[in-house]
Amino acid sequence: MTKLTLADFQKPAAPAANPDWVRVSMDTGGIAAGADEVCAVLEKGAGTLGFPLEVRRVGTLGYSFADPLVEVARQGMPTVVYGGVDAAAAGLILRDHLVARRLLDDHIVASRARGLVLDAPTTAILVKDTAADGGDKTQFFQFSLVEDLKRRGLQDKVQVVRALDLGVYDKGVAVQFLPSRVTYVNVLAADIAKIVDTTLRGKKVLDNLLYKTPDRQMRIVLRHCGVLDPESLPNSLQHGVYQGLAKALGAMQPAEVIGEMKTSGLRGRGGAGFPTWMKWKLTAEVDREPRYIICNGDEGDPGAYMDRSVLEGDPHSVLEGMIIAAFAIGARRGYFYIRAEYPLAVRRVEKAIADARAAGLLGDNILGTGFCFDAKVRLGAGAFVCGEETALIASIEGKRGSPSPRPPYPSVRGLFGQPTAINNVETLAAVPEILVRGGAWYAGFGTEKSRGTKVFAVTGKVRHAQLVEVPLGITLRETVFDLCGGVSGGKKIKAVQTGGPSGGVIPEPLLDTQVTYETLQQLGSIMGSGGMIVMDQDDSMVEVSRFYLRFCVDESCGKCAPCRIGGYQMLQILNRLSRGRGEPGDLERIRAICKAMQKASLCGLGQGAPNPVLTSLRHFESEFKAYLEGGVTYARKMAQTRPAETPAPEPVRA
Amino acid sequence: MPAHETATIPLPDRLKAWKDEEADLLDSLTELESRQGFIPRNLAEEISRALEVKLERLRQLQSKVGSNVRKEVDALVAKWKGEEGSLILILHEIQNQHGYVPREVAMEVAHALDIGLARIYEVITFYHYFQLKPPGRHNLAVCMGTACYLKGAPGLLTEAKNQLKVEEGETTPDREWHLDVVRCIGCCGMAPAMVVDGKVHGRVKPGEVTQRLTPAQPTKATP
Repeated sequence: MTKLTLADFQKPAAPAANPDWVRVSMDTGGIAAGADEVCAVLEKGAGTLGFPLEVRRVGTLGYSFADPLVEVARQGMPTVVYGGVDAAAAGLILRDHLVARRLLDDHIVASRARGLVLDAPTTAILVKDTAADGGDKTQFFQFSLVEDLKRRGLQDKVQVVRALDLGVYDKGVAVQFLPSRVTYVNVLAADIAKIVDTTLRGKKVLDNLLYKTPDRQMRIVLRHCGVLDPESLPNSLQHGVYQGLAKALGAMQPAEVIGEMKTSGLRGRGGAGFPTWMKWKLTAEVDREPRYIICNGDEGDPGAYMDRSVLEGDPHSVLEGMIIAAFAIGARRGYFYIRAEYPLAVRRVEKAIADARAAGLLGDNILGTGFCFDAKVRLGAGAFVCGEETALIASIEGKRGSPSPRPPYPSVRGLFGQPTAINNVETLAAVPEILVRGGAWYAGFGTEKSRGTKVFAVTGKVRHAQLVEVPLGITLRETVFDLCGGVSGGKKIKAVQTGGPSGGVIPEPLLDTQVTYETLQQLGSIMGSGGMIVMDQDDSMVEVSRFYLRFCVDESCGKCAPCRIGGYQMLQILNRLSRGRGEPGDLERIRAICKAMQKASLCGLGQGAPNPVLTSLRHFESEFKAYLEGGVTYARKMAQTRPAETPAPEPVRA
Repeated sequence: MPAHETATIPLPDRLKAWKDEEADLLDSLTELESRQGFIPRNLAEEISRALEVKLERLRQLQSKVGSNVRKEVDALVAKWKGEEGSLILILHEIQNQHGYVPREVAMEVAHALDIGLARIYEVITFYHYFQLKPPGRHNLAVCMGTACYLKGAPGLLTEAKNQLKVEEGETTPDREWHLDVVRCIGCCGMAPAMVVDGKVHGRVKPGEVTQRLTPAQPTKATP
């Protein structure tokens, strides 16, 4: 590839060449669910259609519950996402959707960008019963709608399709009109005639049925995931990747880039929430060369996969963010530290680096501006503590990943003793978009102190486990119930755990808490990297805290005593307790150990390890006591029947 | 595979015959002993003479194999030369190539990098990714991420343990299956998940572990 220059970014992006395309989500989750096979069927069939079809392998759109995902665009038809596609369904996409122009039943995951006005004649109606108990009125409504359409001779103009998911939950039967995406909820059988009359023939929206709640999601970090081919630099360029870099190198000074970050209010997305601009400024101010930039992709938090999805879905944007950061702090060299357990992410980032180097986006004289920078990938080797920045630095240096005391902070004395800025994958992925659209635009999302958006991986006992990107300040309840459909199987929610093994559990009465760095901290949890684990009434909080604690004990590097000994002793007590051999005074002992660990541990792992135990103890003490007082069988029964602790504490608002 | 390696492919047959030779000899001696009650002196002398020659050859063989290891390690060291903190990179390559870090290779790395063996073992034992024991022919890893844990991974693990009759982190005696527990493979959307020989299986139901293991699975413990 010829070297790009700044002038190449002045031209407007080339318009998409082919209006007929399919995009297959080929991230780790998608491939695990069989996306390879689906892609093979589509690629083989593409040549037999009689018109040119572009098959692209992209990252994930985030709807993990419906992997593998295929997005299909056909001229004159609404663009739809199909979920749960297997080889047979891929065949149907070719035959029915692309050739016969009919949508497939039971596979469509509807767009969350719902419309409020009928801006185009309806060609299809999606139907789905959104009740939590999985009640099946979908089929009946589809039948009734089709019958009604037949009566009015509309059956050839409008197709009625059973959807897999409409992004609306617990609102009775919902229907969505395509392509306008106007959505009705709580539709009753009696409404069908009216809908056909007014909305389909009269082209008017029925206000009493209209679902007006706007989508809370805002895709900034995930803007390209599931859209562009992560292994293709030209395709990434078409979607505007590296525009931010061109702007920074062409028209800005390093101080201005940092100033823009300050305006945006972007804070570290790895968990601690340190302001990104300040980190860069501190590193830039140290008068020692060389300086380094590190991208922390050591996503060790079990139950979270945001960073993996971004690295797999849009590696060029993360690389772009890193180059911009390097420009701002004056670094000549950068490292991606990625878990070895994410081989696909490693491969895609390595390819992105090689392609970018060939195109003059890395190396000497980037884009002809004289700026020099190069990046490399370093593999993690399965140590949770290496997500801690000083441990991560030790690991890149080829040593055991033991943390060291701070200060000195890495911005002063980091990799090989040199000033180093360490940023999370998500942070770096947000940087280019902030430069392109302005810091003030980004600061428009979120709350006063926690600005912008954050990606969360909502998993566990949730109806639809998926990635969501939401403005900070949204409540936990909105995230879990409105966006992900609440608890699976119609059970009652017990708690949500945020922040992984260093975070805490937040019980049901506190779910109206706004998600920001400060509010979560007040509740004894942390934002962390963005895992949200939903627990239902069947989950024993004693078991859950034991699970997290065992994780931290296994992962403790053993350098400092509070973490090494405290964690182990606490685990012994919890193990004994869960076997029904608890002793009086155990809970007090646990609290005392927790306090010692929080105060005296060297790094975040030891300081955070007590959080799951302490918050469980605070909100579900009765469960622990049940083990103490009544033994195992009694405790298990109690845990299921008794809801969260009373009296209900007040949710925290930012 | 380079040409000089493909040329050695007929060796395994000879290797097997060579390995069986001693066993045959041992068997016939045992039989002789049980029949006559002793081994004739002239025979014993002849054997010990042959043994000495053999031992010398064995030593040569060992150094041949050893130099192979050295060549391999030297190539790796040269590849990452000038790279600061290259030890972990080298260990990654060794781990990926052998499936574990053999002791003799670790010793060679210590030589080549001119650092203590303890420095290398310090790193190997710290990181979960590096193994000290050879892996089984097949690998089963049960994911123990939080999402999988809540959705029943402990049950899957127990089932796998019962089925393979090994504990986590162990290999079956016939070296067919290695059972592992992994932290999180990032497939939380399809919990509970497990990885069989690199292929991720999602939404595994209790009782399904057996059928997800490929046919080579030893259903009955082989003697």
